[in-house]
Amino acid sequence: MTQKSTFLVGFGLHAGAHGDDPDWRGFWSGLIGRLDGAAEFLTLEDRFADPGRDGLDAILLANWLAPRSRDIGIIAGAPLNVLEPFHVSTAIATLDYVSGGRAGLLAQRLDQQRSLDAGRAIGALKGFPAVDPPSLDRDALAAAEVVRRLWDSWEDDAVIRDVVSQRYVDGEKLHYIDFQGADFRVLGPSITPRPPQGQPLVATSWTAEADLALARAADVVFVPAASDLAGIVAKLEGDGPGTGPKVIADLHVKPDVADVADLIAAAKTSETQGARGVRLILTDPHRQIAPVVDTLVPALRTAGLVAQPPGGDLRSRFGLPAARNRYAAAA
Amino acid sequence: MSKKQIILGAQFPGVNNFTVWSDPAAGSQIAFSSFRHFAETVERGKFDFIFLAEGLRVREQKGRFHELDVVGRPNTLAILTALASITNHVGLIGTLTTTFNEPYPLARQLATLDILSGGRAGWNVVTSPGAFTGANFRRGDHLPFRERYERARDFLETARSIWQGGDFHVRSPYFDIAGRTGAGPLPQGAPIIAQAGDSDEGRELAASHADLIYSRHGTLEEGQAFYADVKQRLAKYGRSRDALKILPGANFVLGETLEDALEKQKAIRLQQVSPKNAIVFLEQVWNRDLTAYDPDGPLPEVDPDVAVEQLAQGRAARYDNRLETARAWRELAEREKLSIRELIIKVTGRKQFVGTPAQVAEEIDRYVQADAADGFVFAPHLTPGGFDEFVEKVIPILQERKVFRQDYAAPTLRGNLALPQAWQPVAKAV
Ligand SMILES: Cc1cc2nc3c(=O)[nH]c(=O)nc-3n(C[C@H](O)[C@H](O)[C@H](O)COP(=O)(O)O)c2cc1C
Repeated sequence: MTQKSTFLVGFGLHAGAHGDDPDWRGFWSGLIGRLDGAAEFLTLEDRFADPGRDGLDAILLANWLAPRSRDIGIIAGAPLNVLEPFHVSTAIATLDYVSGGRAGLLAQRLDQQRSLDAGRAIGALKGFPAVDPPSLDRDALAAAEVVRRLWDSWEDDAVIRDVVSQRYVDGEKLHYIDFQGADFRVLGPSITPRPPQGQPLVATSWTAEADLALARAADVVFVPAASDLAGIVAKLEGDGPGTGPKVIADLHVKPDVADVADLIAAAKTSETQGARGVRLILTDPHRQIAPVVDTLVPALRTAGLVAQPPGGDLRSRFGLPAARNRYAAAA
Repeated sequence: MSKKQIILGAQFPGVNNFTVWSDPAAGSQIAFSSFRHFAETVERGKFDFIFLAEGLRVREQKGRFHELDVVGRPNTLAILTALASITNHVGLIGTLTTTFNEPYPLARQLATLDILSGGRAGWNVVTSPGAFTGANFRRGDHLPFRERYERARDFLETARSIWQGGDFHVRSPYFDIAGRTGAGPLPQGAPIIAQAGDSDEGRELAASHADLIYSRHGTLEEGQAFYADVKQRLAKYGRSRDALKILPGANFVLGETLEDALEKQKAIRLQQVSPKNAIVFLEQVWNRDLTAYDPDGPLPEVDPDVAVEQLAQGRAARYDNRLETARAWRELAEREKLSIRELIIKVTGRKQFVGTPAQVAEEIDRYVQADAADGFVFAPHLTPGGFDEFVEKVIPILQERKVFRQDYAAPTLRGNLALPQAWQPVAKAV
């Protein structure tokens, strides 16, 4: 039973999921009302520069959804190759404050076509990567590292409000991150104090074409359930069993959600292959939300796979330890 | 003639010495509960908008982190979008630089804020040049100082073409981009544009492109001169005098009586300018290490160092002519027998409305009717409760005087500011 209680269920959407619905606000506020409390997490992929379908900025949407929800973890997407890691870091830290420790970053490394579209939308700029796969891999890894270091660049007790010494902050507890990568450098520290989780969870989606390094650097990796899950889990555990990121199996839900039995069977198989949970990919949320929340998730629970959503911050739900600060003097 | 309606903005107290942290009533600068309290209070007071400043690098003094003032803030767009979720009417204006952003990502984020807030987004366009802030960004210090307003203008034009929705294709001196966006046209057509630059180029950009100016000219005479200067620039862009609203930054102190308020003001100024902070301000002009000087003693006899690089980093540079500023400060200190701290308290103050609620309301109204301003962006000295008393006591008097709204009249910020469409979207390519 203890094993089963840690099996997680979440939903996968993109930040343009309102589709043709003219009332975008109504769609998203209705959606979060249904999903909150029904599962542990929600991912929002960002469709940056997807021609005509670029939707909303996913991190901002997440910050709008957070005050409208109490429980669900919100993992917001950012195409790291085309954004400033400094802005991404402060925006996810803010999400963590707004949501009370329910924030995560979905680190998106764009594929070739999307990189070309994104490159046209921002222009050719110094400090941004070329669109060949090795450059994109290297850059996504570097940007994710910068985002994480900036979260640690303030120690938790940096703000001292010490009237005697007339100091608000202890400068010894702010740190330059001084990151130097192949394409750019970032000095730091952040302008945003260390977020409640210390390190909001970092997730990424497995793509066969991408370099393993980004997936290994993540806390959570989403992998298609149909693939060789056990093999991928083994690959990610480069430093031995239990050292890799948590693997979550992606299950694609049919538009009419008629495949409940198949999905439960697939979830069970995923579990035996080492997955720590499932992400239900919703491609047509207008139609799918009601049957997914009312039928599919209860059926997964009845099958003994999913416990009631546990409380606590998002890291602890995924079984991640409290994040220590890389810059704090060792205790 | 009917009286002008007053515009009120509410600045969240932030990273500078005006925000008093040593007071027992000073709360968290970062907890969402602080932002919630602040936003709900000013919306109850029917303020036009919430305003956030920007600083993208922790300030430094003599190569060390500046420790004396509040520091640490959320991401501007993220916190404004979160506030959009818990408010229904108040506008949400963020200060965002054109230097360390690119048009498509920023225009898309502002579009997201405008859509999710139902038409309440605003952008205070700043140009923040410099290697100091650039060290936190991929492109680094990529822009020569004199080009910062050219890029800002080009950036705004580019953002506008993105906000129309559909295909965009820009080939201009600073940008060469293309794509197709599904967002737009936006609830407000475009977010409200504010401008805070004070130079001739800054004023010109405001006259051609902005809906609001956030100015530092808060006294009656300076305000009137600035107001006249900027409003007369509008005609050459074919814009009416009403198309650009002028809002100086200001503070307020309320008391039971005038004496009580003045007493409070004195105490607040002492909290804002601590002994060590007085020396730091002086060092910004003298550009020397003055830690050996007594804040309660006289000004240094040695002159400012104009040769070396600036000691203070990450502040809007305000002392262009250090020798001249030092001379004027010495004269003032001698004439009025002021110590270093007393002088700094005097010369670094912003416009303050001080008195009973009735006196403060009356004076605000007088400034607006005398064309020293169209309203003010007020920054209280306390987080998060700094507006509680103002909303309870000053707003009702302004409403009684019929110079401030009883309730929001329009769903959008543009509507509540009674602004015309800032620009006409060209026909959208289908
Ligand atoms: C009242 C006021 C507020 C300002 N607030 C900010 C700010 O929050 N962030 C920022 O980077 N610059 C800020 N600025 C700086 C201006 O945007 C501009 O970069 C600066 O004034 C220099 O330009 P100028 O030479 O045209 O004045 C502010 C300026 C003024 C006058």
